[in-house]
Amino acid sequence: MIGCKKMVKNKDIAIQLKNITKQYVVHHEKPTFTEQLLSRSEKQVFTALDDVSLTIHKGESIGIIGPNGSGKTTLLKIIAGIATPTSGTVTVNGRVVSLIDLEAGFNPELTGEENIYLNGLIIGMRRKEIEKQFKKIVRFADIGTFIDAPLYTYSQGMKLRLGFSIAIHANPDILILDEGMAVGDEKFRQKSGERIQKFFKEGKTVLMVSHWKIVLTTYCSKFFSISKGKIKVASII
Amino acid sequence: MTLKEIKARYKHAILGFLWIILNPLLQMLVIGFVFQFFLPVQVDNYFLFLFSGLLPWIFFSYTLTKCTPAIVYERSLIKKAKFPREVIILSIVFSNVFHLLISLFLLVVLLALMGQISLLRILLLPVAIVWIALLASGISLLATALNARFRDVNFFVQAIVPLWFYATPIVYTLDLLPKSLHSLFYLNPMTAIIEVFRFSILQIPMTQSHLWFASAAVSMGICVLGWVVFQRESKYFDDWV
Repeated sequence: MIGCKKMVKNKDIAIQLKNITKQYVVHHEKPTFTEQLLSRSEKQVFTALDDVSLTIHKGESIGIIGPNGSGKTTLLKIIAGIATPTSGTVTVNGRVVSLIDLEAGFNPELTGEENIYLNGLIIGMRRKEIEKQFKKIVRFADIGTFIDAPLYTYSQGMKLRLGFSIAIHANPDILILDEGMAVGDEKFRQKSGERIQKFFKEGKTVLMVSHWKIVLTTYCSKFFSISKGKIKVASII
Repeated sequence: MTLKEIKARYKHAILGFLWIILNPLLQMLVIGFVFQFFLPVQVDNYFLFLFSGLLPWIFFSYTLTKCTPAIVYERSLIKKAKFPREVIILSIVFSNVFHLLISLFLLVVLLALMGQISLLRILLLPVAIVWIALLASGISLLATALNARFRDVNFFVQAIVPLWFYATPIVYTLDLLPKSLHSLFYLNPMTAIIEVFRFSILQIPMTQSHLWFASAAVSMGICVLGWVVFQRESKYFDDWV
């Protein structure tokens, strides 16, 4: 019975971090092997996250607030599986898609179409899924005939629109957003805003990063404040 | 599956089709012209002998030198997206295997037209291709993983590749060396690989094939080591690039 209960509980959890600590070795020069052999100098360690534990349930919209260098990015990287914590365990259920850097998976030499496939695969979509969503992605990004042109001929706005369109069509279970995200012109911003609202309504888990509380209070049901690698307050708005 | 797809990224490299053939051809001409005056190599056609050794060597050295800095070069991807990191390396290996296949195909067709291909021996060619691809991936994975952590590994590789060229019987045959040194040369896995390539497409006598197994064992060792080190290090690439 207890085991059964635990299963139900686990299904409910989107992200669980247990005692996460992330330390970086501070480099003053480029790290080299020769240096490693010759000098036995002690490594300087910077602790970006210090024994952080948090649980986010499915369907929650969470705000994360904190100044520069407080560990927000490290936390998000660990959730997204890009960085590996020095100690602690991470459990993430579902596909995480980040809207923070939309151009990461693009190659300027390839065409828009090829980039949709490349970027889609990199964020974890399967080829069939991309094929199915392809038309929708193009329509939403509104780049018209440029789809066959190499990406370096695109304007900055077009690239961002395409990136955004791929990310939201990846059908994420967990969405990571940045409040500073401004995609494209007024029309597209409205469209993307609506789309994100839809995610909230669909009961997807959303993580939102910000410097300002006000932005978060309008969207999020709960927020964590992070400072110097420690989670400080977890307050329900 | 992802591996094959991301290959698209390097498709512009495939467009340099002409260079795939031209590069080894030019090397063959220059080296062949110079060395036939220096080395008393006992082979029927020195240029052909050289070319069949240069093709796999060029594949190997290009792959290794291109892969070593690859993880550092692709830092924007590493830092922003979660995907199996070995894709970056394997896509380079696959695109180079593709180039190797094209040039080998042309060479084999040419030799077949001249009636110089032995149907039984050519069966060994796929073995040689798989072997060199495994070795190149293994050593590339090792070098690139270490290069993420220690940036001078790239300089080390750049220094070692030309030396390795002369430590491998490409421009010469092992017969020119004292017999006692032969077994030492087979510790270099490229020795046996090049011999298998030559044996499968040229009409040359069997060399010391019992020592091929030593080379195969060394290759396997490098391959496993590269894979293990890469898997261990790839979790922390984000910290180091």
